[in-house]
Amino acid sequence: MIEGVDYAQRFFEDIEPGDELARVDDEITYRRVIMNPATTWDYFPGHHDPEYARAQGQPTIYVNTMHYLGFADRVVSGWAGPRSFLVRRKVSTLASVYAGDTMVGTGRVVGKRREERDGYVRHLVDIELTVGNQHGDRCAAVSVTIAVPAREDPERSRLWW
Amino acid sequence: MSGLGSTGYDIAVGTYEDALAMIGYTTPVRFAEVPVNVGMARYFAAMVHDANAGFWDEDFATDVWGGCIAPPAMLMTWVIPIEWKPGGALPMPLLTARVPLPGTTFVNASNETEFFRPIRVGDVLNVTEELVDVSAMKRTALGEGHFVTTASTFRRQDGALVARMTNVLFRFDPVAA
Repeated sequence: MIEGVDYAQRFFEDIEPGDELARVDDEITYRRVIMNPATTWDYFPGHHDPEYARAQGQPTIYVNTMHYLGFADRVVSGWAGPRSFLVRRKVSTLASVYAGDTMVGTGRVVGKRREERDGYVRHLVDIELTVGNQHGDRCAAVSVTIAVPAREDPERSRLWW
Repeated sequence: MSGLGSTGYDIAVGTYEDALAMIGYTTPVRFAEVPVNVGMARYFAAMVHDANAGFWDEDFATDVWGGCIAPPAMLMTWVIPIEWKPGGALPMPLLTARVPLPGTTFVNASNETEFFRPIRVGDVLNVTEELVDVSAMKRTALGEGHFVTTASTFRRQDGALVARMTNVLFRFDPVAA
């Protein structure tokens, strides 16, 4: 075990529609926005050049799509646990998150279901999330489906791929 | 073809009809230039402050996933060409930047991805991209432009399907300041 790393896991049986995910607040400094192209290799200038961002009609540089995706995934797996497998994720961006903003992740469980395929079973959980900012604006709408382990059928729900 | 000057980010320029004529175009397979690696994976996890044990604890990750995994949000990263190469060959941009349209810039509008297996350290991904749709001119708060929909299929070096992604990008002319 490594200190500070997430190991805690929620099982299928522990999750119910209506459950709220733990809220995540994350201050996005200029440094964090610049880490964005550095780590994703997305050098579109809106993510590192404030002058370019202003010419686009934006106040300053803003995080890229992969940051929204990574933030949403963090909110989900931080709540559900690291044995969760991301099956599907849809992100619609509604507004930009700028350097200097705080990203706010909130979400809740909207469904759970069991799916059998090729002798394996998946325990699926559907989650709706919002990525917001410190002003309360909705910056992205996210819907996610994850597969989580179940106590009921631990072997068949492991390594289903 | 025309570029954005000092930004170094080139996008294809043309008419809406040029873009419509390109619908259905599928790129040849593009192979990742680097294997999925633990350094880039952890640096990305550090950017989003993600403490997921699958990225940080090799023993845990080997037990659960068969090896350290990369954040699924990095899917596109693995197939982005390296910025510079010895000899100076220019990297081929992703398909979205190669659709000829009048708009001088773009922002991403939506992204939907389905994953079929985890992305593990050592995987070498490849992708094919298809231009699925180009909308008629639409007006938004940012300006007037077209929504460009592309669909990408990601596979591993052994041919196994890793993910399918549909992306919608807004290609526009900014509202005059």
